[in-house]
Amino acid sequence: MDSGQSFRFPVAHNAVSLDIKGNKTEIIICKYDDKFLVIVTQIGCMGTILHARKEESVLTDPTYSVSIIFGKRDEPWLIACGRQLIEHISCSGSSMHLVLSLGLKDHSPETLKDVTLAVIENRLW
Amino acid sequence: MASEELDRNFSELHVTRDSDCNGKSKILENQAVDGDFQITCFTEDLHDVTLHFQIIRLAKQIFVWIGCNTAKFGHLYAAAITRPNDQVAVTSILGGTSDNTGSGIARRLVLKTGLNIIVACNIPKDSPMLEATAERKLAEKLRSLGYIRPKPGGMSLD
Repeated sequence: MDSGQSFRFPVAHNAVSLDIKGNKTEIIICKYDDKFLVIVTQIGCMGTILHARKEESVLTDPTYSVSIIFGKRDEPWLIACGRQLIEHISCSGSSMHLVLSLGLKDHSPETLKDVTLAVIENRLW
Repeated sequence: MASEELDRNFSELHVTRDSDCNGKSKILENQAVDGDFQITCFTEDLHDVTLHFQIIRLAKQIFVWIGCNTAKFGHLYAAAITRPNDQVAVTSILGGTSDNTGSGIARRLVLKTGLNIIVACNIPKDSPMLEATAERKLAEKLRSLGYIRPKPGGMSLD
């Protein structure tokens, strides 16, 4: 292989492990051509998966759609977290959709707030 | 056929930023103590198509992304063993329609690994040979990583 040749995998990612409210938390953020994938786990699996997107309008401010596509559908703070992140993605200039997985031991607003801040701190947008 | 691969292990409280994922120079420090997750990225160049693979192994689940020429996310499937008969259930959770490219891969990965599997795949529909090739390459890698459990006397799907 030519030493001057460099291979670049087309999907960039960040990964971090940190403590949130006493729970070890892994955060993995991947950037694909058309979506961001954010995995936040404290339980060793992806947990609840959400899909968030911005719906553009010519005449009005953009609106956002967040839906739970797999897992717990009765945890409103998960949706709030997705909503925060898709708005942050939008404000940074990207219109890509977000696939967010949250496998958390507790779904308190404090935990979700810390999760949101940690994801933003390690963002790829 | 050329392949590039990148393996990583991340230890507790170890932060790494690898926005380039440059397979040539990225042999990251292995400080794994617990190794709670592992990310493996590699590419297989076939003569007319390039397949990209990303494997994220969590403690109880594996996420796999398969990219065909592009880095589009593709359709998303979840598969798991369900009680009481240990049958494998697969469902499309994002993007799948009548085209189930990727769902068969998800199902067979569950059978081979015994873990819950989430698969994202952008292989075009009506490409069974390409899907089979991708699954074979993926299974080889999973076997080399030790994620596929041995089946000495059971059903083999290789």
